[in-house]
Amino acid sequence: MKLDRSELLRAYRTMKVVREFEERIHVEFATGEIPGFVHLYAGEEAIATGFCMNLDQRDKITSTHRGHGHCLAKGCDVHGMMAEIYGKKSGLCAGKGGSMHIADLAKGMLGANGIVGGGPPLACGAALAAKKLRTGGVAVTFVGDGGANQGTTLESLNLASIWKLPCIFVIENNGYAEATSCKYSGACHDFADRANGFNMPGVTVDGHDFFAVYEVASEAVRRAREGGGPTLVECKVSRYYGHFEGDAQSYRAPDEVKRIREARDCLTNFAQKVTSAALLTRPELEQIDEEILAVIEDSAGKAKAAPKPSAVDLLTDVYVSY
Amino acid sequence: MKRPPIRGTTVGIVANPASGRDVRRLVAHGSVFSIAEKCNMIVRLLAALGSTGVERTLIAPDRGGIAERLRRATDVGTLSELSTQAVFLDIPVEDGPIDTVRAIERMVALGVSAIVVLGGDGTQRLAARACGETPILALSTGSNNVFPEVREATVAGLAAGLVATGRVTAADATVRNKTLWVELKGGRQEIAVVDVSICSDAWLGARALWRPESISQIFVAFAEADAIGLSSIAGLLHHVSRTEACGLRVDLAPLETARAILHAPIAPGLLAPVGVEAVSELRPGEHQAVRLAQGTIALDGERELAFTAGDQVTVRLDRHGPLTIDVDKAMATAVRDGLFLGREGV
Repeated sequence: MKLDRSELLRAYRTMKVVREFEERIHVEFATGEIPGFVHLYAGEEAIATGFCMNLDQRDKITSTHRGHGHCLAKGCDVHGMMAEIYGKKSGLCAGKGGSMHIADLAKGMLGANGIVGGGPPLACGAALAAKKLRTGGVAVTFVGDGGANQGTTLESLNLASIWKLPCIFVIENNGYAEATSCKYSGACHDFADRANGFNMPGVTVDGHDFFAVYEVASEAVRRAREGGGPTLVECKVSRYYGHFEGDAQSYRAPDEVKRIREARDCLTNFAQKVTSAALLTRPELEQIDEEILAVIEDSAGKAKAAPKPSAVDLLTDVYVSY
Repeated sequence: MKRPPIRGTTVGIVANPASGRDVRRLVAHGSVFSIAEKCNMIVRLLAALGSTGVERTLIAPDRGGIAERLRRATDVGTLSELSTQAVFLDIPVEDGPIDTVRAIERMVALGVSAIVVLGGDGTQRLAARACGETPILALSTGSNNVFPEVREATVAGLAAGLVATGRVTAADATVRNKTLWVELKGGRQEIAVVDVSICSDAWLGARALWRPESISQIFVAFAEADAIGLSSIAGLLHHVSRTEACGLRVDLAPLETARAILHAPIAPGLLAPVGVEAVSELRPGEHQAVRLAQGTIALDGERELAFTAGDQVTVRLDRHGPLTIDVDKAMATAVRDGLFLGREGV
């Protein structure tokens, strides 16, 4: 597996922008200015980054309610996303969707999704379109451990298999569906085991490790592009924040997140690996840190100052004209 | 009639819940070993161990679903017919390789007579490091299955039980294995039971190796022509048995400049062309330096260590590795001694 300097820098930048974006949302949500709910992706950055770095403009992704990381990794604009979360007119969805419905079709981001398990059927459609139109594109659907138990997901696995769709199912198993442990809700410990029942390869990978995710993702995407059909990849990971902002997280051990942040943080471990192998330098990474903080700061300021949609805007973007 | 338990006899069972679920399922056609099947194997082992008179079987706990299923089987009475008492070790579980090591160490400390280890080469090498002189019976459930056997668990359980209860002696039924030791400056040592590969990959990534172009050298403890995995590269060049007093080193080269090109089954269902530059003997105790200045080291098919020039990596063959139970020998000895005959059971 070869990643050149520019790719390593891109990986770090992507993970960092997701992390800082989420950390900022965590702070801003507490002020009460952000409408609705937010579900933060902090801790899971390696998964979105590792997969999306293997995709190009032909490829589509679908997401979950915890979709900020997928959006950013697929190339959605930071300013547009921040404004959307604030419900402002300059948002990617004109302020009408909010956190759980951010989408940018031009970037292949078919939307964060407030319906648990809502993404996989959409990804099957996108994959079918790619196959029929012979674009060479693939569809990646991100699903949580809760969504992995939904009928829509299981049906989609079956459909993708029988139609041999170029679709990759990524189960981001962070251990909790809201507050319910996957040890209770899952009949199997490893969701990757379900792949066998759907006649497709299933792989389990450490979702904290960018390089592990990237390597598995590259093989799954290659297989899909070459007509090999779908793959199920289970990424075991932890989220740093609650199911939603405001979640008391009484279902977690008191030091659970602290231990994971200290020992398994994807950004810390990535930085350590690339600098100890003399592939990148600390000053380079710190430069990226500064740039990203500046972009996030700017996006938050602009989002707060931006106008909200007006009453007239309620009647637009409702129907599609063919 | 069942044989009553023989007082004081204890066997351990360690099953890796994570084996058989890595990227080789995607890039090759690696077997899928479900948790359910591993549990079935353990129940069959328990049945066989009980029938040979093993009083107690210690089972390593896990968070992968094996312990949970077995506990459920206990609750609904599935295990009540077995005459060996199945007990889960009271040790912490971290959901990683340390669990295997910790379980083996605890079993050895508690004086088990044998340990059955379910897993691939990677799991077996962890067991080899921790088992000391306690014989292990290596059963295959992983991807790379060169060291462990693909064997029916019932028969394996009989063999393990016969050795554990002393009715088949260790001299008759165990084999001493070779191992490879990777040593780094500063004292760090890592073990492999089959092969050590030196790779140009800068990181561990998904750990499994399936791209021969990234491999610079392979060191093997033994080389068999019917092996699967990276050691097959050596096995298809020159046979070295498990008991011979040497190993083998193979230096690889790009296909364009290689002295020979070999097509080897480097993963289940995956044959790849491999460029070979040189083959040489690995003598026991000799420290051989690696060619690459930096890269990663794969132990039994999985990238485990990253290294740089400062680490001064060497590889050494050790003839005094773990004892393993030879099922064929154990069963043949039992038949010779008439142990399966009679009203009392095995």
